[in-house]
Amino acid sequence: MNVYVKSTIPLAEDAALEKNPVSAEIEFCNVTKMYGAVAAVKDVSLKVRRGEFLTILGPSGSGKTTALMLLAGFVAPSKGDILISGKSVAAVPSYHRDQGIVFQNYALFPHLTVRRNLEFPLEMRGMKTANRAARVERMLERVHLNDFGERMPSQLSGGQQQRVALARALIADAPILLLDEPLGALDRNLREQMQGEIKALHKEFGKTTICVTHDQEEALTLSDRIIVMRGGRIEQTDAPEALYDRPTTRFVANFLGEANLLEGSDFKLECEAAQPSATVAMIRPERICIVAPAAPKRADGGQRQSVIGTVDDMIYAGPLRKYHVRVGSSILTVREHVASGQQIFKPGDQVRLEWLRSDVRFVAD
Amino acid sequence: MEALQKLGRMPTGLAVPAFAILLVIFGIPIVQLFLISVNAPSFSVVNYRAFFEQGATVFVLFQTIEMSVVATVVCLIIGYPTAYLIVAAPKSVRTTLIVLVFIPWLTSGLVRTYAWTVILGDHGLINNLLLHLRLISDPLPLLYNRLAVYIGMVHITLPIMILPLVSVMQGIDKSLMAAARSMGARPSAAFWRVFFPLSLPGVRSGTLLVFVVCLGFYITPQALGGLRDAMLSNFIAAQLASSLSLAPIAAAAFILLAIAVVMLSIFGLDVSGTPHETAQPLRKSSPYRLRALGRLLQYLYEIGIRYRANRWTVHLYQPIGNSGRSKIVGAVFVLLVMVYLLFPGLVVVIMSFSAGPFLEFPPSGLSLQWYRSFFGDPSWTLAFWDSLQIAVTVAVLSTVAGTLAAFGLSRTYPRLRVFLMMVILTPITLPAIVVAVAAYLGLINLGLIGTKAGIVLAHTILAIAYVVVIVAATLANFDRRLEQAAKSMRAGPVRTLVRVTLPLIRPGIIGGAVFAFIASFDEVVVTSLVSGFSIRTLPLKMLENINQQLDPTIAAVGSLLTLLPVLWLIALYLTWWRSKLKLQGASANQIA
Repeated sequence: MNVYVKSTIPLAEDAALEKNPVSAEIEFCNVTKMYGAVAAVKDVSLKVRRGEFLTILGPSGSGKTTALMLLAGFVAPSKGDILISGKSVAAVPSYHRDQGIVFQNYALFPHLTVRRNLEFPLEMRGMKTANRAARVERMLERVHLNDFGERMPSQLSGGQQQRVALARALIADAPILLLDEPLGALDRNLREQMQGEIKALHKEFGKTTICVTHDQEEALTLSDRIIVMRGGRIEQTDAPEALYDRPTTRFVANFLGEANLLEGSDFKLECEAAQPSATVAMIRPERICIVAPAAPKRADGGQRQSVIGTVDDMIYAGPLRKYHVRVGSSILTVREHVASGQQIFKPGDQVRLEWLRSDVRFVAD
Repeated sequence: MEALQKLGRMPTGLAVPAFAILLVIFGIPIVQLFLISVNAPSFSVVNYRAFFEQGATVFVLFQTIEMSVVATVVCLIIGYPTAYLIVAAPKSVRTTLIVLVFIPWLTSGLVRTYAWTVILGDHGLINNLLLHLRLISDPLPLLYNRLAVYIGMVHITLPIMILPLVSVMQGIDKSLMAAARSMGARPSAAFWRVFFPLSLPGVRSGTLLVFVVCLGFYITPQALGGLRDAMLSNFIAAQLASSLSLAPIAAAAFILLAIAVVMLSIFGLDVSGTPHETAQPLRKSSPYRLRALGRLLQYLYEIGIRYRANRWTVHLYQPIGNSGRSKIVGAVFVLLVMVYLLFPGLVVVIMSFSAGPFLEFPPSGLSLQWYRSFFGDPSWTLAFWDSLQIAVTVAVLSTVAGTLAAFGLSRTYPRLRVFLMMVILTPITLPAIVVAVAAYLGLINLGLIGTKAGIVLAHTILAIAYVVVIVAATLANFDRRLEQAAKSMRAGPVRTLVRVTLPLIRPGIIGGAVFAFIASFDEVVVTSLVSGFSIRTLPLKMLENINQQLDPTIAAVGSLLTLLPVLWLIALYLTWWRSKLKLQGASANQIA
């Protein structure tokens, strides 16, 4: 992660921007933010590496927005300190910090043209007019909006506005990029496209990027690392795949994707290791195979466990088929990819469920 | 303590100039007035007892209440169906109708009262017409009686009834009526069970506003009524002119104030229970006029956005029955109301161009003679210049102080904001005569009675309220994240204000300035008390002439007083329209 692709936009042709490093390191030291008696963020410590793409993920009320506000300098921590490249910025107002922010609804200035919106951060940094124009032009080109400079923001589509917002956050070459629910306002197809765009921009500019979202898919696709927040605290921090594959708590297991939590089930779960106390066994729906009861068992040296159950219902969802299967008194969710030649089960059918013992996880209750 | 420090850091301090003016001109004097009314420091209710022991004053008090109630009820009876029909009308018609209701509200009440003297007088429009048609041999006594006062009062207050009603009715989801009908409710049942209950908040604010305004009526009963039709305001003003002691006046003013405050606190403070109001915290927080005005802004916006897609549901589920006959009846009704609202003003404007030696309608020929006589008479031109100077000064002063206050209030704790907003709105919420007496006392304190500075200050407390209302409504729609965005791009607080906030709320500020100008230019009640015979503003001089009925030039004055606000309004509308266009994007279809 320490190798940066040099930005295709030549940096620092103006004295005003000369001192900017490409990216910066951010550190939260035991940060607490109180609103009255309520702690929105409780004793949070974290470290963001230079050039890293970190996502703060959580449901509403988890403190993720407050975390972003603290980072942006719109609110000051009640306790603790925030360091950027080793210097405390807890008391530095946002307009003395060096960062680019993409706001939830973009916050493009409605009274200024796209060009003027892009010029704004440069102007505020005292960049010369002549240099501004060229830089804006290159940035517009980079986000494929060459012909849109004279438009008002209201004359742009959602995706175009999003790209202007990104361009405006990146144009001054600030070492930190903050994204607040960057794709929340877009429809599904556009969202996927913009995810790719954001990834490409991150790779190209190498900014330390912190994204706040409640959208798990967004978090999984974009990030180097994800922080899951809950009730103002950090629940778990990990790389996307590790987080999904090995959630440490029931909350994370449920918040990221679907989980079968096997508690109080009639059948004994067979696992490789002994179950630690105060944990619940968990298995992801896509790790379970569904077959006819009579289907031959695979010879796998006893690595699989299988149970017999009855199909409760089947939900068809395009590329996926989802079954709810009743096993004893518990219901397991099973997800399989739709493929040709596959046997389709109806509600009431007897089925056999199989899974690898190594796919069972234990999560803290 | 920490909370106090935080408060100090907030820009609440920006509200200080506005509140300082309000305190000196209105706040302190009203306390003084109360102390005088109870004979402080000896504290007795002797003045109040005297008030109630005098048969004449009690009579006037009950008459005031009676006339206010009658006028309010008539307003509601005419206003509710009118508002309903306006809301049910197709969009383009609706917007036009709203503007037509809005215009008389903005034009001088004095001129409109004068118009009724022209219409109802012995040689007025109606009598002349009837005499001409030989239907009568002697003029009917239409003027100087109770009926004339009611006609004038309802004429002036009807817009204040209709506009809040329309604003609430427009917020009622029309699909609710459709839903009721789909469940088998006949149109009348759907109306009474669904629409009417939902429109009650509008009924309440409209009724309350009209009633409180009626309590303070001063010019209309004086100009249109007989000797026995005086209201408490006339009594107070007469006392102030003749009596040396302030105590009975103070007691009378506080009795009037008490009625208004009791009404406001019983019916006004409960603003919960309507869904669309809770969606707009700021509107919810500040009563009556604020809501009405905030909506008014939206109406004006709406004219400019014809190209916006029609709300088809509105057309589909028009709350009114679709039978041809009810449509015609509705149209005729609305037409009559509009004629009633607009015709008097129009009469004055048209008559002012008449060529004959007397005022006549319709004019036998057109000429500018009355305007020539107006601009040729130094006493009129002097009054005009005085009015203009005062109004411009008031507009500047109140726009600066009011904008700062609105800005400061928008950044403070919600509860504190609600309270301060109510305080700053008191001068336009309470009966005009009470405000006038308080301002009179305030200016005596300052030694400014009979000076332009004094009149400016007295007008400013009224005008600030309008500015705050309009700018606050604009700020409520302003996305604070734009300021955060600017700050994240290294714009400091001042540059953020200049480059982002001010340009975006400019339409509201301009609107506030225009309202402030109009409020001052038309003002007559407060002015008549504080001018101390040495300064004659245009409306004041006109008021004198209405009573004397000598000079036909006042038709030209009335016409100027009517047309100037309308011109302002058009200018304002164009400003808003342009900025709206700019923000909306000139062509909606460019949005992919």
